[in-house]
Amino acid sequence: MSRSKIILVSIFLTSILTITFVISFLSGISVIAQNNNAFSKEGEKTTVVTGGHGTGYNTIRTTGDVLDSINADERTDLTIDPMKYLREFNYGRVSTTDNGTTLRDFTIIAQDKNLEVSPGVFMDAWTFNGTIPGPTIRATEGDLVKIKFINNGSKPHTMHFHGIHQSQMDGVFEIIAPGGSFTYEFTAEPFGLFLYHCHMQPLEEHISKGLYGVYIVDPKTPRPPADEMVMMMNGYDNDFDGENNFYTVNGIPNYYMHHPIQIEKNNLIRVYLVNILEFDQINNFHLHANLFQFYRTGTSLTPTEYTDTVTFSQGERGILEFSYKYPGPYMFHAHKTEFAEKGWTGLFLVKEDQSEPDVTAFTKGERAVYPSEISNNTFTTQTKTKDSQSTIVSYGESSQGGS
Amino acid sequence: MEFDENRNNRKTSRKKMTVIALIPLIVLSGMLVFLLGPGMSILNIGIPLPEITIEKIEFQNDKIVAFIRNTGPEGVDVAQADINDRMIPAGIEPSKTLSRLAEAKVIVPFSWIAGVPYEVGITTSDGTRFSKSVEAAALAPTPNVEQASYFAIIGIYVGVIPVLIGLLWFPFIKRLSMNKYKFFLSLTAGLLVFLGIDALVESNGIVGQNIAGAFNGQVLIAMITIITFLVLLYTSEKLVERAKMKSDDNTSKSNLVTYSSSPSSTTKIPQKQQQQQLAKPFAIAMMIAIGIGLHDFGEGLAIGAAVLLGEVALSTFLIVGFTLHNTTEGLAIVAPMAKSGGKVTIRKLIVMGLIAGIPTIVGAWIGGFLYSPIAAIIFLSIGAGAIFQVVYSITSWMSSNTSEPRKAMLSTPMIAGFTVGMAIMYATSLLIPS
Repeated sequence: MSRSKIILVSIFLTSILTITFVISFLSGISVIAQNNNAFSKEGEKTTVVTGGHGTGYNTIRTTGDVLDSINADERTDLTIDPMKYLREFNYGRVSTTDNGTTLRDFTIIAQDKNLEVSPGVFMDAWTFNGTIPGPTIRATEGDLVKIKFINNGSKPHTMHFHGIHQSQMDGVFEIIAPGGSFTYEFTAEPFGLFLYHCHMQPLEEHISKGLYGVYIVDPKTPRPPADEMVMMMNGYDNDFDGENNFYTVNGIPNYYMHHPIQIEKNNLIRVYLVNILEFDQINNFHLHANLFQFYRTGTSLTPTEYTDTVTFSQGERGILEFSYKYPGPYMFHAHKTEFAEKGWTGLFLVKEDQSEPDVTAFTKGERAVYPSEISNNTFTTQTKTKDSQSTIVSYGESSQGGS
Repeated sequence: MEFDENRNNRKTSRKKMTVIALIPLIVLSGMLVFLLGPGMSILNIGIPLPEITIEKIEFQNDKIVAFIRNTGPEGVDVAQADINDRMIPAGIEPSKTLSRLAEAKVIVPFSWIAGVPYEVGITTSDGTRFSKSVEAAALAPTPNVEQASYFAIIGIYVGVIPVLIGLLWFPFIKRLSMNKYKFFLSLTAGLLVFLGIDALVESNGIVGQNIAGAFNGQVLIAMITIITFLVLLYTSEKLVERAKMKSDDNTSKSNLVTYSSSPSSTTKIPQKQQQQQLAKPFAIAMMIAIGIGLHDFGEGLAIGAAVLLGEVALSTFLIVGFTLHNTTEGLAIVAPMAKSGGKVTIRKLIVMGLIAGIPTIVGAWIGGFLYSPIAAIIFLSIGAGAIFQVVYSITSWMSSNTSEPRKAMLSTPMIAGFTVGMAIMYATSLLIPS
């Protein structure tokens, strides 16, 4: 009996050993991963990662890579350039017709493009002129607008403009097949803030994939001079589940957090704010430490409201006018906090005057300056070439002319 | 000369055999080269979809750590991490580029709140998001002496003590009439079948929740269960044979004496058979102990993992439930030995109790400190295979003891015992939250 007992016990022990071996083999990798910190102390480079957008949040150290779309722009593809888009108004090739009307010629090309819509995240997008949002088209009330639309995409598309025009110029029934083209022609009326987008069905798909842009019609008597900018609120549904994964203003989530929009103290700021956000019922804009005059749809020169938050449904828009009394960094973001935390957040950096050094000289891979480090008079970051000149665009002064 | 020729012939034929065996392999590799080689477009059908499996989430001081694996068909780049679908900057080690089946640790700085549910999301470069949620955040145990001894104490309460308590039924079962004994023996079989099914269901659940399709979890469970069953069956048969041979040696010496000294021995069981009978129940009991040991290891894993994965309330109830449940396991060990008539020492009993119980402690350590879902299903499947082998041994042993095996198997005490056994297990398992 004792012999068989020994055999039994030894079999038991052998099986336990085998099991332990299998276990250690299978979990070996995770054990190594867990104990990573043990041998990361010496020699290896560690990076500090801050949760949230600034100091005061929890931080961790890592020897690996950093996944951070809030504090730094780690994109490899910079096709979408929110800083360029912000103050870029396209007035078209200007000429005058026989009866003295200003004619503005634009060319818009629809094309498929794989774009980096958030740091590290690529999406097969459909674009007007290669970026999201498409170019901002600007004209004056009464101008003749001619848009040559070329469809270089893989699907049929159209351009549907908001505003007053004829049925055949509405971009709904004239479908432009891939390789085809069409010229939209209409008089810019009335003055106000509009948008354009593709009107092919399924509409949801054609809009959420990126086919939209801003269309501004200025009043004949210009608005007062101001530092003007365009803000298009959008989102991206990268996994095609009918819900947005990212929310942005001007195309890249959190972009203006690490590239604050520089403005001057007491200078009038005019924001052309448009909401194209697909899938979600509403979207909104909230300005910190300030209030703005609000012109709904921009069709009146008298403000409709004096507020700090404005809410739009899809396709709604309005003009915001404000100026900052005190210098420093100020946030603006969707007051729908979910959208804010998924990328629809930015900063205005109010400077004392233009002579102050530039703080937005971040090149790719550099850490963003945290708001706490940009207190009133300590603009410490080194001065580099400005990535966007702050141009004050006022009616009539534009080089493209027009009257 | 002739001898040499023979040898040469044998050599050439061996060479021939090797060549014949290799030819299909050579052709196959040629085909693989052809298919995967440069310029071949025949296999470029469809778009390979990425897949990331979040295997484990740990809540540490002011950070949440997710252990992820690329279980898709190709390498992926991890682009972003989020908590509750809100972007949070994070670190990823060793790298954000993951080759197939590679593992990474995503560390998210986050002030989490204990007891609150959280979802961790991982977004790959093509924008696909993978997520996993935790019911209630709880600080992950860190492997230190304090925590280890805590798990050890739990293991003793859950595994060792209840099994030893169950062993106290030994004298009771020993004094039972044959019919009642048969009832208890088949009750044991019923208990074990329940445990076996339980282990399979449990491991299937882990496959569903934590294992990526790439690992073929369900096939793995079936495979391991069957292999364990076969290996243990083979081993136990060998053991019994050994014991038989040994008793043959012993009896051959005393054969004459036995038969001559007692003329009435024809009515008694011959000593040889008696010894054989003793060897077999002991082997069965040992097998049961080992099988239950593996099962209890699985229970330990479950308890440790429940603590680690933040299912706090669950683990308290889990512990009470397993304690009651495991008392019946002691009964399963003693039943086959009780009527064997051989000398069953207390020491032997305790050893078996410990073999069955102590793996709970080891399980709790592994479950609590380095939980790996794959390891968990492997253990559970081994346990299931071991248990089914034991059930097979018990039933075949019971039927071999009678002249009419089929009738014996279908007797009232047998069926009643089996049914009651499973019912008891089901009732006690209700105490364990799933």
